[in-house]
Amino acid sequence: MIVRPKVKPVLAYLALVVPSSLVLLGFLWLLITSFSTRTEGLKSLGWTLHNWRFLWESPFGPGYPSIWQITLNTLLMSLIMTVIVVVVSSMTGYALARMKFPGRKSFLSLTLILHAFPSVTLLIPIYFVLLWITKIPLIGRGVPLLGGFGYNTVGGVALVMVAFQLPFGIWIMKGFFDNISWDMERSALIDGASRFKVWWQIIMPNIRPGVAALSVFSFLTAWNAYLIPLTFTAGRAGKSVVLSLYLQNFISESVMTEWNAVAAVGLFQLIPVVVFFLFTQEALLNIYGGGRKGGA
Amino acid sequence: MKITIKALCKLFGKVKAVDNLALEIRDGEFVALLGPSGCGKTTTLLMLAGIYKPSSGSIRFGEKVINHLTPKERNIGMVFQSYALYPHMTTFDNISYPLKLKKVHKKEMMKRVQATADMMGIGELLDRKPAELSGGQQQRVAVARALVKEPAILLFDEPLSNLDAKLRLRMRGEIKRLQESLGVTSVYVTHDQVEAMTMASRIAVMNFGVLQTYGSPNQLYDHPDTVFVAGFIGAPPMNFLEMRFEERDDGFYLGSQALEIRIPDERGAQAKQNDVPQRVIMGSRPEDVSVVAERDGDFKAEVYLIEPLGREDLVTFRFDSEEIRALTPAPFHGQIGETMSLKLDKEKVHLFNPETKVSVLRSGNGGSS
Ligand SMILES: Nc1ncnc2c1ncn2[C@@H]1O[C@H](COP(=O)(O)OP(=O)(O)OP(=O)(O)O)[C@@H](O)[C@H]1O
Ligand SMILES: [Mg+2]
Repeated sequence: MIVRPKVKPVLAYLALVVPSSLVLLGFLWLLITSFSTRTEGLKSLGWTLHNWRFLWESPFGPGYPSIWQITLNTLLMSLIMTVIVVVVSSMTGYALARMKFPGRKSFLSLTLILHAFPSVTLLIPIYFVLLWITKIPLIGRGVPLLGGFGYNTVGGVALVMVAFQLPFGIWIMKGFFDNISWDMERSALIDGASRFKVWWQIIMPNIRPGVAALSVFSFLTAWNAYLIPLTFTAGRAGKSVVLSLYLQNFISESVMTEWNAVAAVGLFQLIPVVVFFLFTQEALLNIYGGGRKGGA
Repeated sequence: MKITIKALCKLFGKVKAVDNLALEIRDGEFVALLGPSGCGKTTTLLMLAGIYKPSSGSIRFGEKVINHLTPKERNIGMVFQSYALYPHMTTFDNISYPLKLKKVHKKEMMKRVQATADMMGIGELLDRKPAELSGGQQQRVAVARALVKEPAILLFDEPLSNLDAKLRLRMRGEIKRLQESLGVTSVYVTHDQVEAMTMASRIAVMNFGVLQTYGSPNQLYDHPDTVFVAGFIGAPPMNFLEMRFEERDDGFYLGSQALEIRIPDERGAQAKQNDVPQRVIMGSRPEDVSVVAERDGDFKAEVYLIEPLGREDLVTFRFDSEEIRALTPAPFHGQIGETMSLKLDKEKVHLFNPETKVSVLRSGNGGSS
């Protein structure tokens, strides 16, 4: 009888500790492997920095973009997508939550359907759209840094990512706007604010957690994206390659796979994600805890 | 600023939230909009504020029709039930927000915010956020924010209903004094009839979006136009009994199985002039029902419930499956089940047509809707 209250937390911890230690063990293995010549289980058979040499020299010859170029590509792609998704979702979400206009209901259900739509089925049509954008002068492939917004450019990939992320973003943001009291908005209008000022000065500051959550979520989605960059860049050696594709180079070369190097590159891609998670845990919890309430 | 509302309607889909409302509010007047929940009070206020567009009808400020003006162009201040403070701003920023939007010069702004805050007794709280204020303090900030831009019209939407009873009483007085000293035309929405009676110079009673009556507190209390108004104004509410109306040679009588009373001639004549039907609803306020010695009584009834209110006791009597409540001086000398004699104050008897629910004691055609 006395023991019973203690049993429950113990069970809960057990349920948490066992799976997480399995995952953590995986990461530990990754870490050890990346600094070893060979390993036997978790035991290193000799320490080396050789696997991390991709940081200072290109393992695939001088014609291949450096890891830093690739990291920059990935960062740019993720940032562009995050900024566009957050800005567009905030405005659209506000309009959907607060304004009456013809087609509002159908727009809402359309976003929901789009969110549920399997993106794979759209890859080929989008390919043709991107090819078409490529032909537009300047925007197609003349933008410095991004290449442009057409096929095989960082901007183009970001654009497609935005399209797939927007329905989710709009729904999440609409949920946050729905939770803001009407009175506050009315009060601001009566105080003499324009609709835009109400949105920018009164509503947006009050849904900062929502903005933070959506930013983090979008950034991580872009950072880890594989399928879309793979489809819309010309191969793994192109100028617009991103980190997730770079990793592939090590696996599918005709030579034997260097698992130790794969581990190192994988860890490298992981670092920003872990750092991000450490600082933004709370915001992320918000998107599932707070956003859902009014969202779906 | 004088407000004139004519034939104002607001539809939400099929719901008629406000139905053909006509109201005139004099410059500097304090008018209360009173009515039960969902009767269209807030909707009316938001149309005055410019948040809702009227479906039809007109609103004039002064002589100008302002239907099409945005809230910004109307120069009004509004206090919400939820206070609607901006949680991310300090008290100072909250109060100064209307001035900032008007691009008032910084020095002038500081001066006016401080003056308004001092007047509301929150001068010390200017750098706190709303979350760090008590409900009463938040309320004061909301009032200060509405006042700071020196509006032509003040709108209040149940501003006191989130406060505890004691604070409500105090704020009631403060708002009334403030309004009197500033002389700003004010519309005050409430569902609390005591609040409306004590604060307003005139009360507009609404029900189901329709204006029931509009008049001074005493007028509504002493001469209610409809059964609804009679029952809504005054606590504890008026007693209603269905009775026969009879004119005899020596005067006018009201009768039922248990009692018969003679009513004053001028009341009877007035009722007759208003085409009083055979059956009427008689209304008598609990304070007009008294317990008397047997020979003075109009009828007898059994004590059913005794509710002490402190200064007075509210006693419910039963007779003939009817109920009547009386306010008697405390302590009440009687016991449950005891039969006692009751007397009605005939000078204060109200009569209503049971079909139309309208008073048959109206003189001329004044007041009715
Ligand atoms: N935005 C809206 N959309 C649809 N119906 C509404 C809207 N606002 C109010 N109504 C309806 O109009 C009627 C009047 O509402 P209103 O808010 O004016 O009532 P109220 O008198 O202020 O009530 P309360 O005392 O509860 O605040 C109600 O039946 C309400 O359901
Ligand atoms: Mg209301």
